[in-house]
Amino acid sequence: MSSLTFQELILGLQRFWGENGCVVLQPLDLEVGAGTFHPATFLRALGPENWNAAYVQPSRRPGDGRYGENPNRLQHYYQFQVVMKPSPADFQDRYLDSLRSLGLDPLEHDVRFVEDNWESPTLGAWGLGWEVWLNGMEVSQFTYFQQAGGLECFPVTGEITYGIERLAMYLQGVESVYDLVWSETPTGTVTYGDVFHQNEVEMSHFNFEHADVPQLLNYFEFCETEAERLVSLQLVLPAYEFVMKASHAFNLLDARHAIGVTERQRYILRVRTLARMAAHAYVDSRARLGFPMADKDLADAALAQREKSEAAS
Amino acid sequence: MSTRTLCFELGVEELPAGELKGMALSLESGMCKGINEAGLSFEHSKTFWTPRRLAVVISGLQEAGEATTSEVLGPPVAAATDNDGAWTPAAIGFAKKQGVAPDKLIAISTPKGERLGLQKALPGKLAADVVPTIIETAVGQIPVSKRMRWGRARHEFLRPVQWLMLLFGEEVLELSLFNLNSDRLTAGHRFHSQGTVSLERADDYESVLKAHHVIPSAAEREAIICSEVAALAEEGETAIIDDSLLEEVGGLVEFPVALRGSFDPDFLSVPREALISSMREHQKYFHLEKADGSLVPSFITVSNIVSSQPDTVIKGNERVIRPRLADAAFFFATDKQTSLSSKSERLTGVTFQGKLGSLADKQHRIKNIACAIAPALNADIDIVTRASGLIKCDLVSDMVLEFPELQGITGAHYAKHDGESELVASIIEEHYWPKYSGDTLPSTPEAMTVALADRIDTLVGIFGIGEIPSGSKDPFALRRASLAVIRMALDSARDMPIRTLLSAGSEQFDTDQIANETVENVTAYLLDRLPAHYEESGIGVDVLRAALETGSDTFGDIEDRLFALVDFMGSELAESLAAANKRVANILAKSDAELGSIDLSLLTENAEKRLVQALQSVSEDIVTACSTGRFASALEQLASLRDPIDDFFDQVMVNADDPALKRNRLTILKQLREQFLMVADLAVLAR
Repeated sequence: MSSLTFQELILGLQRFWGENGCVVLQPLDLEVGAGTFHPATFLRALGPENWNAAYVQPSRRPGDGRYGENPNRLQHYYQFQVVMKPSPADFQDRYLDSLRSLGLDPLEHDVRFVEDNWESPTLGAWGLGWEVWLNGMEVSQFTYFQQAGGLECFPVTGEITYGIERLAMYLQGVESVYDLVWSETPTGTVTYGDVFHQNEVEMSHFNFEHADVPQLLNYFEFCETEAERLVSLQLVLPAYEFVMKASHAFNLLDARHAIGVTERQRYILRVRTLARMAAHAYVDSRARLGFPMADKDLADAALAQREKSEAAS
Repeated sequence: MSTRTLCFELGVEELPAGELKGMALSLESGMCKGINEAGLSFEHSKTFWTPRRLAVVISGLQEAGEATTSEVLGPPVAAATDNDGAWTPAAIGFAKKQGVAPDKLIAISTPKGERLGLQKALPGKLAADVVPTIIETAVGQIPVSKRMRWGRARHEFLRPVQWLMLLFGEEVLELSLFNLNSDRLTAGHRFHSQGTVSLERADDYESVLKAHHVIPSAAEREAIICSEVAALAEEGETAIIDDSLLEEVGGLVEFPVALRGSFDPDFLSVPREALISSMREHQKYFHLEKADGSLVPSFITVSNIVSSQPDTVIKGNERVIRPRLADAAFFFATDKQTSLSSKSERLTGVTFQGKLGSLADKQHRIKNIACAIAPALNADIDIVTRASGLIKCDLVSDMVLEFPELQGITGAHYAKHDGESELVASIIEEHYWPKYSGDTLPSTPEAMTVALADRIDTLVGIFGIGEIPSGSKDPFALRRASLAVIRMALDSARDMPIRTLLSAGSEQFDTDQIANETVENVTAYLLDRLPAHYEESGIGVDVLRAALETGSDTFGDIEDRLFALVDFMGSELAESLAAANKRVANILAKSDAELGSIDLSLLTENAEKRLVQALQSVSEDIVTACSTGRFASALEQLASLRDPIDDFFDQVMVNADDPALKRNRLTILKQLREQFLMVADLAVLAR
């Protein structure tokens, strides 16, 4: 069997998880550092409502750029994200089936779940789970969310994040990400390099040398006040967009080395405060709707709990 | 007596390798304890753990415990009947509560007098009845380092629980935990076994799992790994199997299969520690050495399957290790482009601690401290100066940023590359020694000097800004640093007072940078660590206290006193002297008289004359012995005072009616006490 092209890998995962009850979404059209930032993960993990989704998320980490010269490092790459809430009892088995669907036989390849505890300081989120090893290489992250935006996650969202470039490099047996076959077309082979190399070179220059620091500092402040203003207007989703924008502005400033060590910690705290605020506002907004996507018993319990704590305060 | 085997297995999603053993042993001890407390006996218990299961098999467990009787006590017999001999309400009430007629009650004698009561026969407990509750309790007591929830349930564990298997002989005992019901079903290997596996008899646990590609015994898995790994070493090679790595690897697999891969020999130019660290820390690989100790460009990984294509697994692992080693080689090459000394400039940008400045500041202070104490340690001051200007430079190298555990080792490599002497390079590496309790001490006086200076700076600085360790909070590892200071000082700076050592540290700070009483605080902290230091030698806290009461603040002096005391203690003579000292101390404590010198004309009794004489005849020798550290000899002299002291207490009245006599006798005791205190406070050792 000839190995999967990059796009076949994505299509395969979408098909697999679509058939496993997930809503297949399209990427979020904003710059984010990871698929977890997508409202379909971060916000949907909050509150009692059920949710199953899968999507590709382009992820930007300005500091990881290497001007297109490092075969393993990119400032823009893809994550394939799966979230299932509540996490199903056979979540691991389904994940293993997804590998089988890509042609990876766990009786040939040594697949292992190795302890890994995940934490995102900017999102005020943490969970427990594993990194999944394929013959010693980490190809996925597997997490049971315990907290997000400082709020307890209940029911628990199970999250799988596939590093699809890595997986594809493995399947295709190439040493450089730029050599990945993206697609075989009638006019010839299109590689990952054809699609993204120029982007890596130019974005690295931008991220490290030309991103406008004074403007970005102002923009961070703007995003911060805007998020606060929008929350006060009960416009939760726009408010959360500004949290993500603030986070990306911070990442760019970090890549420009524009923030000192102690200052850096303070910026992370500011983003976390915003994320926490948006998280609370989101749950409030869903409560006002009566948590329509939750199991009835959990919705009732959550609403009753809220009433009780409101009465107490 | 019929018995059966009990088998309980908790099926889980992969638990962290490092926690398996502790969890399984806790489950076992919890179950055994519960079974014992229920009055049931068993022959043997065995515990099993793999990433996916914690299990306990208890063989020869009694089906039913022995019947027992217990006494129930009611009111005192005296209060059980009234004057007419009729039962009182208290007696009737008690009988009713126990469900018997009052006539059935008997008199039971107790330390508090006769009580009305009855003997109750208690049937033995049935294992099948009590075991589920015992297991529930034992599972609840398993230590869980980080709790998590899953799905839509509130229960918590370290990772999701998947199944409960509970068999007593051939019978399933009912147990509900984590929204699961117990059954006879378990699971075999994740990939080599399909579906669930039904266990017919508890006794078959191990053999059935083995038939399904699971080795439930950790010891057996480790033995398999050892022999497979060793078998992969070729002629002239040795596979290095470290115990902690072995335990970790054993906790990552249910069916270990060792495979050997290789890497490009060009990487061998990278310091071996970096290569080993890449293999071990990140990938859990074992490495191989040749007879001359050099590294073999190969690794051994332990997979969890009998792969249909072992080569796929090997090639895959080789692909993972290659970029890691390439990173290490790259860091090594770039780091070497600039000299170690030139890296010292970058130390100014790295904070040691907010109030104590940068690593450059720390390195500068260490240099000054090291120079101050070098003469006392017979260290060459030029070499100490040269080395201490370089010791922290590798902390800003790319290699150490990537492999923090290689601090020191990396610096030593770079120093040699820069043409520094072997001695300077070894100081850079060894100044972190001893790294843990029992680790080797630095091997040269110069390395010892710098290592001591580094610890002194940390202790004085961190204490000085009030970050004093408390309870489990010790972020700067000051306890470990203190024990290192004690060991190094005892080895190489025995005669240097602790306060002098620490002052060399405190003088490096501005007066407003650290608290005034810092040296005193750290001195007290170090002295408080002495019991921990001497714990292994079995020297008791009281002996230590007896030596410390002399107020000595020199480690060597304290130790000399200690060893003399330890030899002296245990004899009947020592006990009697200790008792005498305590008596003297008590008498002196009660008196507030101003005492001068002994007035020989006031000596009336023979016993007191003899004591004074004895005292005077030994005092000079004791002073000499103590000033030259010969405390055993001083103790011998003091021992000769035993009979005069005993006679004194037998025959002389200290609290004489004549105040002048009384004062003179107290003075004798005070001088006696002072003689003893030159060696140690024996009063502390009195029983």
